[in-house]
Amino acid sequence: MERADEKRFRILVCIDGSEESYRGLRYAARLGGGVDADICLLYVRPVDQGLRSGGLQARVVRENLLEWGLELPGTKHLMKGKEILTELGLMSDEWGQKMIHVDKLGDPLGDNSIEYSSEGGKKVTLKLEVAPDIVGGILEECEGGNYDLLIIGASERWNSRSYKTFWDPAVAQKVVTRAHCSVIVARELESGHGHLICTDGTENAIDVARKDAILAARCNCPISLITVVPEDVGETEAADILSRTKSAIEEEGLEVVESLLRTGDPVEGIAKAGADYSVIVIGRSKKRRRWWLFETDISDQILERASNSVMIVR
Amino acid sequence: MEHNSSGSLTRAAMATGQRTLNKGWRRISAIPLRAWLSYLLARRWLFVAAAVGVILLQLPTPAGLTHEGHIVLVMSVVATILFVTEPIPLPTVALLIIVGEVLLIGLDSSDVARSLMSDSVLFIMGSLMIAVAVVRQKLDRRLAFLIIRFTGTKTANVCMGISLVSGVLASFIGEHTVAAMMLPVGVTLIRLTSEDSRQVRSLAAVLLFSISYGASIAGVGTPSGGARNAIMIGYWREFFYDPANPETWKYAIDYLRWMVFAYPLFLIQVPFVTAVLFYTFKPKQKNIARAVVRLRAQLADQGPMKISDWTTILIFFAILLSWIFLSDGIGLGTVAIFGAAAFLIFGLVEWDEINNGVNWGVVLLYAAVISLGVEMKDTGAALWVAENFLALLKPLGGDSGLGLWAAVIALTTTVTNTMSNGAAVAVLGPIVLNLAVAAGEDPLILGFLTAVASAFAYLTVVGTPACTIVYSSGYLRTTDFLKAGWKMVIVSTILSLIAASAYWPLVV
Repeated sequence: MERADEKRFRILVCIDGSEESYRGLRYAARLGGGVDADICLLYVRPVDQGLRSGGLQARVVRENLLEWGLELPGTKHLMKGKEILTELGLMSDEWGQKMIHVDKLGDPLGDNSIEYSSEGGKKVTLKLEVAPDIVGGILEECEGGNYDLLIIGASERWNSRSYKTFWDPAVAQKVVTRAHCSVIVARELESGHGHLICTDGTENAIDVARKDAILAARCNCPISLITVVPEDVGETEAADILSRTKSAIEEEGLEVVESLLRTGDPVEGIAKAGADYSVIVIGRSKKRRRWWLFETDISDQILERASNSVMIVR
Repeated sequence: MEHNSSGSLTRAAMATGQRTLNKGWRRISAIPLRAWLSYLLARRWLFVAAAVGVILLQLPTPAGLTHEGHIVLVMSVVATILFVTEPIPLPTVALLIIVGEVLLIGLDSSDVARSLMSDSVLFIMGSLMIAVAVVRQKLDRRLAFLIIRFTGTKTANVCMGISLVSGVLASFIGEHTVAAMMLPVGVTLIRLTSEDSRQVRSLAAVLLFSISYGASIAGVGTPSGGARNAIMIGYWREFFYDPANPETWKYAIDYLRWMVFAYPLFLIQVPFVTAVLFYTFKPKQKNIARAVVRLRAQLADQGPMKISDWTTILIFFAILLSWIFLSDGIGLGTVAIFGAAAFLIFGLVEWDEINNGVNWGVVLLYAAVISLGVEMKDTGAALWVAENFLALLKPLGGDSGLGLWAAVIALTTTVTNTMSNGAAVAVLGPIVLNLAVAAGEDPLILGFLTAVASAFAYLTVVGTPACTIVYSSGYLRTTDFLKAGWKMVIVSTILSLIAASAYWPLVV
């Protein structure tokens, strides 16, 4: 595993060839536009179990494809990602490049990456990795590469709210639950509509708001705040929550363009108000609950309910 | 003094042990809850399978079933859960079956070891080695050239040509070999039509499914078309064949006899594959002249056939003729192994290539499942399941004739769509053959229906090796398999029932 330069802002974008993943990449390009940020595009290929391809190793098929001059699906998706970054002016064909191959899990194709770097030290890396399962591969890269932010496209299944999502969660759902860094789950992700930061006035929520405000400033995204309180909570108390969060952000020299106060069910309120923004931002609860098996974090419920992108800040 | 010194040593050892334990516990308790949860979630089906096994073993043995039969049935249920859900590497299931046969059923270890190797397993091993050797010869370019030379440029003709050639080849050398060889042909045609994958989505679907479905329907054409065929032939011999009884000789199915039963069924299905695919995906490119001309230009400069190409073709036909004329005496497996040896002797393939190209764990898995299948028969478990299944079908009118055949096809189609078709036949074979006996049906007809229906895994990516291989191209979605698959299941089921009622009785 490579050692990350701790001062640099590192974004990991999961690419699976879907339009959602490329939207996530475009957003990453805005967030990681500065010279102090690196972007890594990751495609994870699950290792073949053998039985599925009838006992003939999948590598035989892949090698045959390569001999016909046809690249593997992951390569195609990653190269499209590179083209998008070039079109956006984030990288150019003149950048230096370094190829790295690592044998892994007995797979001859193993892990492959191409690292493009500018003279100023900015890096864009394309990674085609093999892992026992896709989620494991993403998480391994996320932890090993010490990323600040992970962007992954949402699965359609997530919104279906079927029992299956509990028993067999979609890839993005599993990644959100287990990732150690902040995660953006991309749904119709478009920049320009700003970040809506959720706050309940706790130290954790204020910290999350501060962190995201700094991130939003990277792409000049307008920052808005929202708090949703129960009916019986006084307006003064709710206004105080917003005011404390706003002050914390302003201490960083950043501006809050609007503050929304809603009453009622927080999940419903946030999902409804958040539909007009690029991203709804919420922190992951730090509390270790005794009834973790039966209760879900509010951030999970918002992820499920929201129709647009959600960022979970850790 | 000695005692004291020994005592302090013991105390020191105990203290060290305690410290190690404490350290170990601290390490375990330091693992975040999330990591434990992840581990448990990832392995949940292993725990479910283990729990189901333990619970079923605690239940009293059902009436009419032996204690050993009860254990074998529980092992089969647990193995099936593990096959379908794959919480652990699949060859591990084979290892657990072997251990279970010795520890739970109480079989002698040497007997279990002997039961793992049979002609069917030799055949599976040999045909996989041949598959790697054939793919390495790069004959796919010449095949592609041949297809487009005869089919012209109409998309429907190209697709039918691909299905037919894939099918004919797959019927002899296995669908995985053909899918591996034909995939680059399909992908190249798609890419030469348009680089924009959205423009060619429907075209990609018809071309790639022509390969996979063409190969799948043909996999049952001859015994060498797939492991499932060799497994069924092995079961017929094991369950019914007695060299001393001429009445049972019909159960020793040889290569040609199998072809007489199954090959016409494959040929009849070919035009239906193209029709179903065009009806489902409706590609807007009715003619792919541009792609065909460009591919022809790419392939035209291959030069004349090389000595290695001719040697490959010669060995291939030698294997084919040996399967047809010699396998009755020396077994399908011996011919397959000899064929693989021939490729190595003539230097057409290196051992390392074969070693890396074959997943040996799969061979072990088939060996273990066949061994379990034989135990199902020996302990009477298969007969018990068959009788109970028949009792369930009786009120629905499915206990004989067409109803029973349709029920067997439905059961096999369901199972084969969730696991490999070889494993499906290995698991269902003993039950279905006993079902035939209990219902007074011909085990050959029900056995063929099971083997044929095991190819109806059109609905999922993992259903057949050919489906898995074409899916790896990245052009297909999992939902595409469902869209076209259910129509193919209906067409194939109807054609199989017609064959079973009108054609097979004539050749039994």
